Amino acid sequence: MRTTPKVRRATGIVFATVVATSLAACGGGSAGSSSSGSASTAVTQIGFWDPYPQYDDSSDWAKYVQACAPSGATIKRTTAPNTDLINNLTTAVREDNAPDVVFLDNPAVPEASASGLLAPLDTVGIAAGDADANLAGPGTVDGKTYGVPIGANTLGLYYNEDILKKAGIDPSAITDWASLNAALEKVTKAGDKGITFAGVPGEEGTFQFLPWFWGAGANLKDIGSSQAVQAGQLVSDWVAKGYAPKSAITDNQSASWDQFLTGKYAFAENGSWFAKAAAAEKFPIKMMPIPSATGGAAPVPTGGEFGVVPVHKDNSAGHYAAAKHVIDCLLGSDKQITTDNMLGYFTANKTTRAQQIAAEPVYAPWTDAINGAQGRTTDLGTDYLTTSAALSKAEQAALNASGDQAKVAEAFKVAAQEAKG
Amino acid sequence: MSQTTASMPGATKEHAPERRPKASRPRLRRRHVTGLIFAAPLIVYLLLFYAYPLAVNVSMSLRRFTRATYVTGEAPFAGADIYKEVLASPQFWPTVEQTAIFVVVSLVFQYTIGLALAVFFYRNFPLSTVLRGLFLVPWLLPIIVSATTWQWMMDADNGILNRFLGLFGVDPIWWLNADNSLWAVIIANIWLGIPFNLVILYSGLQNISKDLYEAAELDGAGPWRRFWSITFPLLRPVTAITLLLGFVYTLKVVDIIWIMTTGTGKSQTLATWAYGMAFGKGTSAVIKYSQASVVGTILLVIALVMGLVYLAVQRREED
Repeated sequence: MRTTPKVRRATGIVFATVVATSLAACGGGSAGSSSSGSASTAVTQIGFWDPYPQYDDSSDWAKYVQACAPSGATIKRTTAPNTDLINNLTTAVREDNAPDVVFLDNPAVPEASASGLLAPLDTVGIAAGDADANLAGPGTVDGKTYGVPIGANTLGLYYNEDILKKAGIDPSAITDWASLNAALEKVTKAGDKGITFAGVPGEEGTFQFLPWFWGAGANLKDIGSSQAVQAGQLVSDWVAKGYAPKSAITDNQSASWDQFLTGKYAFAENGSWFAKAAAAEKFPIKMMPIPSATGGAAPVPTGGEFGVVPVHKDNSAGHYAAAKHVIDCLLGSDKQITTDNMLGYFTANKTTRAQQIAAEPVYAPWTDAINGAQGRTTDLGTDYLTTSAALSKAEQAALNASGDQAKVAEAFKVAAQEAKG
Repeated sequence: MSQTTASMPGATKEHAPERRPKASRPRLRRRHVTGLIFAAPLIVYLLLFYAYPLAVNVSMSLRRFTRATYVTGEAPFAGADIYKEVLASPQFWPTVEQTAIFVVVSLVFQYTIGLALAVFFYRNFPLSTVLRGLFLVPWLLPIIVSATTWQWMMDADNGILNRFLGLFGVDPIWWLNADNSLWAVIIANIWLGIPFNLVILYSGLQNISKDLYEAAELDGAGPWRRFWSITFPLLRPVTAITLLLGFVYTLKVVDIIWIMTTGTGKSQTLATWAYGMAFGKGTSAVIKYSQASVVGTILLVIALVMGLVYLAVQRREED
């Protein structure tokens, strides 16, 4: 079309506007204005975020949280899945309307603190507490403590007692990978299915892979080692031989538990939060520690959230006071057992945990596992997320390789490079 | 009018061409100011919701974003470095190839099957309206339902699809494997896109005059000949718009792929890659916002090119 003067002028206006706005965008991007906290006013509506959307407003947990509001205030509880919570928190801190207390998944705590989303507990005025060192690890970054563990959970190997009996397997004889694989072979020959686990891409999959990874003797600082490849080969062979379902590459822990509950699988690698529900199932479900490659229990990762306090610019004193009240109410040493029993977690302190386990016999087999559980971010801090992503990719590739040794080795070699940068 | 220009100072010669534009500029402004005022709301809307996000997206792809940027606002300028990183990344060209396969194969089959169904429904038979309504179901179902159902049907061990194939003696296929996942999501996407093509092509068919068909039949043309010589050429404008809309939509599809496979393996397309990087979803929880903006800009360029192709085709149609 002919460019008349009118068209040229209009184009010029539009072009100039676009350039102007992009320059504005380039030059701008400043954070919200920082108004230093005015005189501290008590917060009347306390924001509380947790990743338990399965507990809605009518549940016992919601009412329990509400009861922790200081007089003259109410608690507004919002839930979101773990993978969304840190993104929501990021946006909220930027807008300076973050909640007062967040229960954040422990591997996300170093990232959140490094990004400036969290207030150190010293600033808020919360005492570090008496949590065990192995469980409190993820909450301390660069010497500063940012969160209090609400409790802990970990992984174990559940088994269907009937199926093992039918195949003539003695559960106490399963102490290393060789005996586990032999049991899986026997069970599949007897007509049942082997083991369910969650190989979903992402942190949940890495969480489930770590007992085998650590059980082979591998270290998160070097995920390309031959022990890591050994762990990858283990799960790859399970898929190849049909011991594990092919849907493991997309199953999360909830889906893999549902498969185990059909009663067709002999084993399920899953978490302690199912321990109570497992005891109430139609067929007898017991638990054994996850075996390591050469014998003995494998180190297992700690799951569980941390109670953290987001940064506030406006009325920070008021918000931090509210946060301190709620956290002391929910996670103080005398309240830990009640809070954790509601969520199906273990307490973060050894002594109270011993009391908790003594009161609930179904937790007894988990004692050693939780006492020896390791934090995932303790060694790597903020670098953990990159390593976890690389490890998840390697595990996915191993499961897809379905037994092919060359492919499994290649997957971990690539992962080691990705983890470095 | 010309008399007034003649009497205005400075406009000595009426016929001098270079003077006339100057003298007529005030006339231009008067006439077109009203037009601009009418167009102003639309221009403001376009600037706010199209030009500004576009500009911000491009500026984001030139600066390094981390999660901390949201709090501190610091995003150091990196120029073309991020573009070089993304283009040099080993994932880039395979992802482009996968996106191309996903879009082209989806469109070809969606269009062909949609056209076949439209021609089939053209002859109204009893219950044809009900049947046509049923064919709209894929379009009406929420994607979470369709995607989860497809994932369930394609389960390698117990899925209904493998059982069906087993009836014909075909070995069970691991549909959601890294290698096969692209074909799994293509199949689901084709199923999703057929109703759209059916509806638009069916209404396009209605606009073809029945006289043409009668004339062709009288001349002795069979059904195939009638289709290729009458129906298909006359459907060209409708085909062009259907394919353009389908292309732009399929290019940015994230939901069906994400729910079925989280974009792992070969089912990674540019859109799912950008989504995973922007929000730390899928395999990695690390936010790579700048790289996601780069991929988003590339998607924009591809869609723009297709839009220009469509305009060229449309112009040829009009000539």
